[in-house]
Order: sequence, then C-alpha cells, then structure tokens
Amino acid sequence: MNIVTWLNLVDLLVCLVVIISAVGAAVHRNLLAATVFAGVVSLAISFLFLRLAAPDVAMTEAAIGAGLSTVIFLIAVRRTEEVEGKDQ
Amino acid sequence: MKQIISMIAIVTVGFVLWQLVPIAMPTALGPVTHHYVADGLKDNGGSNLVTSIVVNYRGFDTLGEVTVLFLSVSGAAFVLRRRSGLEVTEPVPASEIVQTGARALFAPIVVFGAYIFVHGHLTPGGGFQGGAVIASGVLLLLLADRDRSLPHGSLSWIESLSGLGFVLAGLAGLIVTGSFLANKGVLPLGQWNRVVSAGIIPIIYILIGLKVGSELSVLLDVMVHAAGDGEGN
Amino acid sequence: MIHNIIGAVLVLIGALFLFLGALGIVRMPDLYNRMQTGTKATTLGNVLTMIGLGIMHPAWLPKLLLIAFFVLFTNPISSHALARAAHRVGVPMTPLTVKDTLKDKKPVVKEVEV
Repeated sequence: MNIVTWLNLVDLLVCLVVIISAVGAAVHRNLLAATVFAGVVSLAISFLFLRLAAPDVAMTEAAIGAGLSTVIFLIAVRRTEEVEGKDQ
Repeated sequence: MKQIISMIAIVTVGFVLWQLVPIAMPTALGPVTHHYVADGLKDNGGSNLVTSIVVNYRGFDTLGEVTVLFLSVSGAAFVLRRRSGLEVTEPVPASEIVQTGARALFAPIVVFGAYIFVHGHLTPGGGFQGGAVIASGVLLLLLADRDRSLPHGSLSWIESLSGLGFVLAGLAGLIVTGSFLANKGVLPLGQWNRVVSAGIIPIIYILIGLKVGSELSVLLDVMVHAAGDGEGN
Repeated sequence: MIHNIIGAVLVLIGALFLFLGALGIVRMPDLYNRMQTGTKATTLGNVLTMIGLGIMHPAWLPKLLLIAFFVLFTNPISSHALARAAHRVGVPMTPLTVKDTLKDKKPVVKEVEV
C-alpha cells in the first residue's frame, strides 16, 4: 500500500466522520451537543477542502465555521432553552 | 417528527449532491477559466490566483458580499441592543490563568491576522480570513474579562471608513481607466512575489480585513452582553 | 541524510504520544482523568512532531517552532478552563479519587434532561 492509498483511506474516514456528525447534529435533542457536532462537521469539511487543493477556503472554513459560528450558536443556546422540544 | 424530516432532508440533499459531482468538477477547463489561468499572473502580478479572481475579475461580487456582511451584523446588533431595566445575572468570572493567558495571547493573534490579510496576494488567505482571526482574538478577550466592553464608537468608525475606502478604490479605477474596480492602470503592478505589488489588491484586502475584523468583533460583543430575559441567563 | 533519520525518529515518537493520548481518552475512568491524558500527551506529541518536521526540512523550522510554541501555550490553558467549568457544574468523580482540593467550591447544578 503506497502513500496514495493511505491518503484515500484517510479521506474516506473523514467523509464518514462528516456524515455521522451531520446526522448527530440533526437528530440530537440537547442543543449543546448538536452545536458541538456542527463544529465537528465544519472542522472535518475544512480538512477535506485542504485535500482538494483549496487552502483559502479551508482557512476560511476553519476560522469561521469551526470557531466563530460555533461560539455564536453557543451564545444563542445559552439565551434560549437548552433542550429542544421541552413542551412537545 | 422533526427528526424524521431532518433525516430525510440529509439523505436527499446528499444524494443530489453526489449526482452533481461530474458537473461541478469537470476534467477540462472551460473558456473563461482558461483565460483566468493563462492570463491571471500577467494581468494582476500577484502569486495567489484565487485572490486575483476574487478582487479583480469578480471584484463587484466581493463588494456585494461585504455589503451583505455589514447588513447582517447591523441587523443583529439592532435586534440585540441593550435595553435598560432588565437585569443580567452575573456569570462566574474566569480564573486568573485564563485571564493572563488571554491578555498575553491577544497581541500575537492580532499580528497573525494582520499578516494574513497584508500578504493576501502572495499566500493563501486574504481579507475575510484575517478579519475572522482578529475577531477570534477579540472573543478571547471577551471571554476572559466578563465586564470588559469594547469601544463601539471607534470600531464603527473603522468599519465605516474601510467600507468607504473600498468604494473609493473602485471609483479611482473608474476615473483612471474607465472601469469600476480596475486593477491594471491605477497602481503599478510591481515585481512578482513582493509585498508591494499586484496593483490595488493589497490595499483592498487591508480594507476588507479591517472591516470584517471590526464587524465581527462588534457582533460578538453585542451577543455576549445582550440583556437576557426568559429562560437561561 | 543524518538529519532525515533524526527527524523521522522524532516524528515517530510524536505520533506514538498522540496515539497514547487517544488511548487514554478512551480508557480512563472519569472526565478529569481523560482531560489530563488528553492534554498532556497530545501537546507533547504535537511539539515533537513539529520539531521532527523542522529537522527534516530546515527551511520550515522557524514557522514550525512558532506553531509548536503556540500549541504549548494554549493547550494547558484551555484544558484548565474546561476542567474548572466541569467541576463547577458538578461532573462526578470516579470512586477511586483520594483527595479533592476544590471540595469547598459550591457547584452550580442545573437540571437538564436528556
């Protein structure tokens, strides 16, 4: 197995992480956990952007998606309720 | 019920994007892309082709994007403005290690963000990335000292003047060469791979970096200090 | 040639420490132990990997040293903040704990379902 096959395997694993975290962010009822999952999705996607030879987009996604966007979501969750659908 | 709908939405969107991959990533370059790749260095003089496209060939879209960012931050700051008469419960102050570390780290982070947007035409990066890094440094300061509030007056002056500077740079292109946001005739292209080169691109990126950095800092400050009411604190 | 071998050995040791950090996160009994292995092992693994890469490519050495210094500075601060927040919220410790230094700080407990 040369280096190219190893890198393809790593790409496949990161794609799997993206799918599982996206499903977890959509399904989970505790909004703090859903926000953390969304941050993991942004981080894994920025790695995939780097593997597709787009360093500008990877830098933007890492700084804004995995950093600022997660913090803004957390501040918004703190101001409102923390568990989704408490009255349903 | 909501979870079933979101699962179906994820599966459908994933399937549609998977089928669109041969269209979105073609193996041969189209005619416009071929012109960008072939003449990009000659027209702009900067080593980073992506920033040449963003600022020069598609500069008008960048102006629209900066406007959208300004509108969204203004809207959020207007909705969350501080209302007198509602009390805020005091959260636990951060420990001394976090406070000292945040104050020591703020200056290197701002310098790093400035490095990213000054060298936008040479290395991967640009105005938006540098502004986001500066805003994350300001967020570190806000999380360390709970009762520190940013000077909103100076930050809004910086933001407005940077946005005005962007439009003025485009107007300078209009006056000199006859097309808005032109790059070739306004400033000399200079030598390749030096900081002072590539015409008007570094100036526009410095202005965008300052604007985005101050905007996102104001947004974070407004959100952290918004008066809470109802549940939560 | 010799700097290639030294750099490769350092990167290998760094990767080993990163693996030990991940193993510790899985196998430790409670949150505070996990955070301890998670920070210490991964910080050392990061720093060793950066230094090993810098020795293999001497042109990149100043920037890699800057990154290693930044990681060394921020990782312990962030894990300290997380552990302090976890103790204030009231995350339980494992029954094997011998001494609790922060026992007199009242935890802020909030009832959250799910």
